[in-house]
Amino acid sequence: MLGEFEYLLITAAAGLGDNAYGAAIREEIEATTGRRCSIGALYTTIDRLEAKGLLSTWMSDATPQRGGRAKRMVRVTPNGVLAAKDFYDTVTRVSRGASWAVNRAANKAGSLL
Amino acid sequence: MTSIGWSLIEVASQLLERREREAVLGDLTEADVSSWRGVLDVLGLVIRRQAMHWKSWRPWLAAFGLALPGSLLLMGFSVSVSQAYQRLLGPTVFGITVGEGFTLLLCNVLLLICWSWTGGFVMGSLSRRTVRVSAALSFLPCMFCLARFRVESLSRFCLLLFLIPAVWGVHRGLQIAQIKLRSALILAVAITVLTIPAWSRRGSWIPNWALSWPAWYLVATSWRAPAVKEVKRWRVN
Repeated sequence: MLGEFEYLLITAAAGLGDNAYGAAIREEIEATTGRRCSIGALYTTIDRLEAKGLLSTWMSDATPQRGGRAKRMVRVTPNGVLAAKDFYDTVTRVSRGASWAVNRAANKAGSLL
Repeated sequence: MTSIGWSLIEVASQLLERREREAVLGDLTEADVSSWRGVLDVLGLVIRRQAMHWKSWRPWLAAFGLALPGSLLLMGFSVSVSQAYQRLLGPTVFGITVGEGFTLLLCNVLLLICWSWTGGFVMGSLSRRTVRVSAALSFLPCMFCLARFRVESLSRFCLLLFLIPAVWGVHRGLQIAQIKLRSALILAVAITVLTIPAWSRRGSWIPNWALSWPAWYLVATSWRAPAVKEVKRWRVN
């Protein structure tokens, strides 16, 4: 099963689609979680997920806004999608009955009424 | 970002592989992070990368089983060879007598070269990515001994006689992963035969084997992969 950060990374990369690369994924994770994401954690996790066959990466062409440097582009593989779905389902299942999950569902229902 | 900060980031990023360096520097340029955060980010990645290499037993063996004890023992042997040479030659170059002493000196010089070369080769081939750490560990005792060397009749550089064949061995070890089985076997047998005169001396078997195992390790690695061509080139990333 995926780790928490691995799930965040795959989800961010999947959301960014064709624009998924190091800096964009990092920005996305920082914006959604409100936590700092270090380059070290990002790139070592990308390598690990690539080794597991959950991501594929390649170097893009150099762009002027990056000082003529290439990007490391990221794409989620079908196995990566399955692993992320499995993680999400597990978290959803295990959260059933938890006070925060129940309250959240009740609040949601209340706001709909 | 200041130019000094950026220079620091570029220096730190030299420890990364080329492709990764390019992606990381590009990301930092795009994100326009502060110099301090940029340096910390790059150093953090470098430390993680280095730490990953040390998950294997190979860098530990290369650094603490070979580089550190090997350099200490080879320094001692270098001094021993220098003293034997000095005793045999005396003050004049032509006063040399070809006899037991000369043969023993010749054996020891050959042994010093073979031990240093095989030690360096195995250090380079065992863990290519951590070779800088292994080299630093082998230089530490050298620096310590150079500073404290007090034999008046000998130059302190006699301590470092092993250095040239060792550096040559490291260079070859980084270039090729292993040597042919026949060459490895000849080298290991030669080293073992050259140590025979020391077998009668009590207590010398530990340093002998501490310096001889790399040669037999080369035999073992060549034996395990006989189907590989003459030399196996390291994949250049």
